[in-house]
Amino acid sequence: MFSRSADSVLLPLDLTASGAESSHRRARLQDQVTSLFDQFREPLLRYLWSLGLSLPDGEEVLQEVFLSLYQHLDRGKPLDHVRGWLFRVAHNLGLKRRQRVRRATETHTDADHEDLAVDPSPNPEAQLAHSQTKRRLLAVVDALPEQDRRCLYLRAEGLRYREIAGILDMSLGAVPLSLTRSLARIARANDATNPERSNR
Amino acid sequence: MKTSASHLSDEQLLLAAEGELSKRDAKLVEAHLEACWQCRARRQELAQAVTDFVHSNQQEFDVLLPPGAGPRALLKARLAEVAGAQPAQHQSWFLFSGSLAAAAAICAIVALAFALSRFSTVSHNPSRMHGVVYIPDSRLTPGATLLESRLAVCTSTNINNKAVPASLQREVFEEYGIAGADPHAYEVDYLVTPALGGAEDIHNLWPHSNSATVWNAQVKDALEDRLRDMVCGGSLDLTEAQREIAGNWIAAYKKYFHTDKPLAEHCNRCAR
Repeated sequence: MFSRSADSVLLPLDLTASGAESSHRRARLQDQVTSLFDQFREPLLRYLWSLGLSLPDGEEVLQEVFLSLYQHLDRGKPLDHVRGWLFRVAHNLGLKRRQRVRRATETHTDADHEDLAVDPSPNPEAQLAHSQTKRRLLAVVDALPEQDRRCLYLRAEGLRYREIAGILDMSLGAVPLSLTRSLARIARANDATNPERSNR
Repeated sequence: MKTSASHLSDEQLLLAAEGELSKRDAKLVEAHLEACWQCRARRQELAQAVTDFVHSNQQEFDVLLPPGAGPRALLKARLAEVAGAQPAQHQSWFLFSGSLAAAAAICAIVALAFALSRFSTVSHNPSRMHGVVYIPDSRLTPGATLLESRLAVCTSTNINNKAVPASLQREVFEEYGIAGADPHAYEVDYLVTPALGGAEDIHNLWPHSNSATVWNAQVKDALEDRLRDMVCGGSLDLTEAQREIAGNWIAAYKKYFHTDKPLAEHCNRCAR
C-alpha cells in the first residue's frame, strides 16, 4: 500500500575478506559507510525532520549515526538489517537531539520549518499549488498522537512492521493498529474536504 | 481470522494490502472483497490516504532537501579522522588553525562545523538574479569563526567590522565569478560578523550587493546587533547564533524579529 517499500534493498557489507590488512580494510569500510550514507541520507533526514528536528540538526544527527555505524562495524559487530539499525539509531539520537535543542531554545515550532522553507524569491503560483491540500493533510498528521505519527512516517520510508516495532519499541500487533488509526483519520479528512470521494 | 458478518475491518484491509496476512487469511479477504463493493471502496479510501500522505510528505521535504555533497564530504573527513587517515583537505583546515593558534593562542579557525550549514533551500542556491547577491553561496562561503568564548565576544570593545583587505576582496570577487564587476556595486561582507566571533577568512566573506533593496547590508547589520545582544544577554548560545547567521541570515532575521519583511527602522531603502 505504501509506495516506497521498494527502498528495502540493502547494500551488503562484506566484512569478512579484510583479514589483517587493517588499513585497507578500514578504507573499504569507509567507502561502504559512505555508500550507505548516499543511499539512506534522504529517508533518514526526512524521518528526523518529521520528528521535529531542523534540517541542520538532522544533518548533524546523521553524521553521528554514520560514525556510529562505522565504529560498530569496525569492532566486528554483526549487522543483519542495516536499514532497521540506521533508523533505530537515528530515532534514538534524534530524540536526544530534539530534547537538547528544546531545552536550549525553548521550542522548535512549525514556524521554524516554515523559516527553512522560505524562499527569498518566492514563486507565488508554485507556493499556492503546494499549500492548501498539503497543509490540511499535514495538519491532520500533526494532530496524531506522537507514536502514531512516528509509525506512519517510518512506514512511509518503507520500513516493514517488524522493523517499526523494533525501532519504536512497540509490539508487532500494535503497528497495524496504529497505522489504521492514522489512515482512517486522513481518509476522514479527505472525505470532509472532498465529498465526492466515496464513503461508507 | 475473524471478520465481522458484513464487512472487513480497516486493519484487515491494511494488512491484506501490505502483504502481512497469512496465505489463508489473504484468500479470505480477497474472497470477501470480490463480493463486497463497500469494502473495496473502503480499501480504495485507505490507499488514497496513503497516496496523499506520501505525496504531501515527499513534496514538502523535496523543496527543502539540501544537496548532499557537503555533508557527504564532511562524513568522509570524519571517517578518515576516526580511522586515523585524514585526507589532505581535512588536514589543511587544521594546519591553518594551528598557525593561527601559534600566533594567538586563543584562536583557531573552525569551518567544518559550518559545512553542516550548507542546507537550506536558499543557502545552497546563491541568489544572483540580475547580478544581485543577497545570499552567499554556501559552497564558497560556509562561514568560519574564531574559537572565542562568549565572554571574549561580549567584552570586546571593537565590534565594528574590520575593513577587508583589498587583496582578499579581489579573491572573493574572483571566487564568485564577478571579477570584472564594479567594486562599488558590492560590499564584501562577513557572513558571521567578527562581533559574533566571525573570522577574517575567505570562507566567511561574500559580495553583498549594494543594489539589494530589501535584504541589504543594513538589514543584516540589524540582525547581527540583535544576535549579539541576545548572546551577551544570555538568551542565545554563541554557537547557535553563529550557525543561524551562517545557515541562512534572512531566515534568521525573520525568526528573531518575528517578521517576513525587514522592519522599517532597519531598512531605509525597502520598497513599502
